[in-house]
Amino acid sequence: MLSNYIQVSLEHYLILSAIIFTIGMMGVLMRKNILVMLMGIELMLNGVNLSFVAFSYYTGNLNGQIMVFFVMTVAAAEAGVGLALAVTIFKKFKTINIQFFEKLKG
Amino acid sequence: MDMTTILFYILAIAIVVFSLGVVMTANPIFSALFLALTMVTLAFVYFLLNAPFIAGVQLIVYAGAVVVLFVMVMMLFDLKQEKEAFTKGKFTGFLKIASAGWLCGLIAGAIYMSTEMVVSGNQILDVNKASTKILAKELFSNYVFAFEALGILLLLIAVGAVSISRIKGGTHAK
Amino acid sequence: MGTDFFEISINFVKMVAIFLLMVQLVPALVWVERRGSAFIQNRFGPNRVGPLGLTQLLADAIKFIFKEEFIPSHTRKFLFYAAPVMSLIPGALAFGSIPLSLPFHVEAFELFGQTMGPYRFAFQSFEMNVGIVFVLGISSLGAYGMLTAGWASVNKYSVFGALRASAQMISYELALGLSIVGILMIYGTFDFADMIAYQTGPLTFTWLGSEMTIPFLPNWGIFYQPLGALLLFIAMFAETNRAPFDLPEAEAELVAGYHTEYGGLKMNMFYIGEYGHMMVASALMTTFYFGGYNLPFVEPETINEILLAAGFSATKASLLTSFTFFLVLFTKLLIFLWIFIWVRWTLPRFRYDQLMDLGWKKLLPWALGNTIVTAVVIFVMKTWS
Repeated sequence: MLSNYIQVSLEHYLILSAIIFTIGMMGVLMRKNILVMLMGIELMLNGVNLSFVAFSYYTGNLNGQIMVFFVMTVAAAEAGVGLALAVTIFKKFKTINIQFFEKLKG
Repeated sequence: MDMTTILFYILAIAIVVFSLGVVMTANPIFSALFLALTMVTLAFVYFLLNAPFIAGVQLIVYAGAVVVLFVMVMMLFDLKQEKEAFTKGKFTGFLKIASAGWLCGLIAGAIYMSTEMVVSGNQILDVNKASTKILAKELFSNYVFAFEALGILLLLIAVGAVSISRIKGGTHAK
Repeated sequence: MGTDFFEISINFVKMVAIFLLMVQLVPALVWVERRGSAFIQNRFGPNRVGPLGLTQLLADAIKFIFKEEFIPSHTRKFLFYAAPVMSLIPGALAFGSIPLSLPFHVEAFELFGQTMGPYRFAFQSFEMNVGIVFVLGISSLGAYGMLTAGWASVNKYSVFGALRASAQMISYELALGLSIVGILMIYGTFDFADMIAYQTGPLTFTWLGSEMTIPFLPNWGIFYQPLGALLLFIAMFAETNRAPFDLPEAEAELVAGYHTEYGGLKMNMFYIGEYGHMMVASALMTTFYFGGYNLPFVEPETINEILLAAGFSATKASLLTSFTFFLVLFTKLLIFLWIFIWVRWTLPRFRYDQLMDLGWKKLLPWALGNTIVTAVVIFVMKTWS
């Protein structure tokens, strides 16, 4: 029956999180701009967070929310370092397109 | 169809559209604004899942700090609309999309096959049990080592970010 | 939202009324600001249009609405339109989640032959059990309004203003968040209503295992955390982008900052957003440190009993009690708004490096020290007794 599938359950949240994760991965694979690639990583982390929170809700266990808390901290740290690197790269190469600094040598 | 179901579908569609916007728009500033919208919508999904504190932290950390930093950095660069926003190569592009789709299908299949054994017999998180106080007690008793380790990580990151941006060619070059 | 038609409609009316209260307070504040600045600087201010220049507001509003809508041709149209709305919404949402008075009760009554059960309505747009986290999160979204406004109007001054504004907001958010941690540890809750309930009665605390009561002082947060109150107050000024922290719109350097290209109603929406932020800041100050809607030494029950004795029905008495305490909160709010205006017209603007030094090198360490000292004191008190 269709109505069984419409009623929201854990699967719905997990599939939504899988879709977000995949879209983020596509962003990392397909884009050339290093900042957009960082954004793709943020999207992937968010997809994982959503699955943690959904598991925590449907199993009545708070550990998932604590993991989300940790993931958020690590994501903020990752964004900080990534942006600092992006600023440095931009000052050196005058571009943030990833194909122009393959050499890793100033 | 109750209220939660309708809200979930609206929010889910919005999230998918916004996150596609992050990846598909050629202008990186629009990407960042779409990312902010995605974060805010996800925060509302967390409210649906009885995690109001996580939702608040999502708003403060992601939408309020991380994405604002992204937007600021992009304004500093003054980027133009990119002509070649995506990687070249039709075949590799197709391969990438196909592999991403394959991964998504794999995850969905795995979810469909396995959730019944994970969830069976457990109860839904109740609002009183999910209070911030209990979360904090758990965080500062069972997870206190991880919490301290995160503190050290943040300190390292702060020092590292400052030292990276101060080297020659950084924002404060002398 | 509610379970039946009556509850949903009352909640909806409440939401609209609180939003309108916020928006309608803005012209009054503009008048106070203009007259007040004139008073401070020994001028007259607008005094020609109507008594005390009060109808000047009406004239201004009409001018704002009927002004020709002008958009420079080089702007990014969609974001240019979206930015004023984006700066208005966070203030409105944050203000809606702050309790403005006691909840009021409606007794069971008959409507169209049906008994409508007793109701309880909170005096705020919506209730959040993580009040302060939500308010901080939502008001941090205010940076997007400025950033998009600056970037969409393709103008160097605007972009500079936007960058300054967002850098300032991010820097001071840290100090703001840390300055309230101490008082949050004392209250032990994120919920505004619980915080205000904690601050009733005379000043009572446990000192070395014995309970102390100081009968002539109210149990307000400022007596526990004077340093936290001061830090929050300074950080709030920076968050609202008002003088002496109005670097984003410094006239001498940046024309008008991020809203250089805006005019008419869109400009007005930026104004409403700014004043909305001021109101949220004042409401947070009162809720955290000045007892919220509490009137010192007057219990809500006594007022309710007086009203009941005067012959009002239970519903009306409860409603009137709520309204009395709303007036108390409103008075405190107005005092803080006046301090905002007073400071703006008294102090000169900071230089940019001074601003960053104040945020990172002074406010942040002091707030951290305050947090640690408070934690140690609470720990000692708990283990001692």
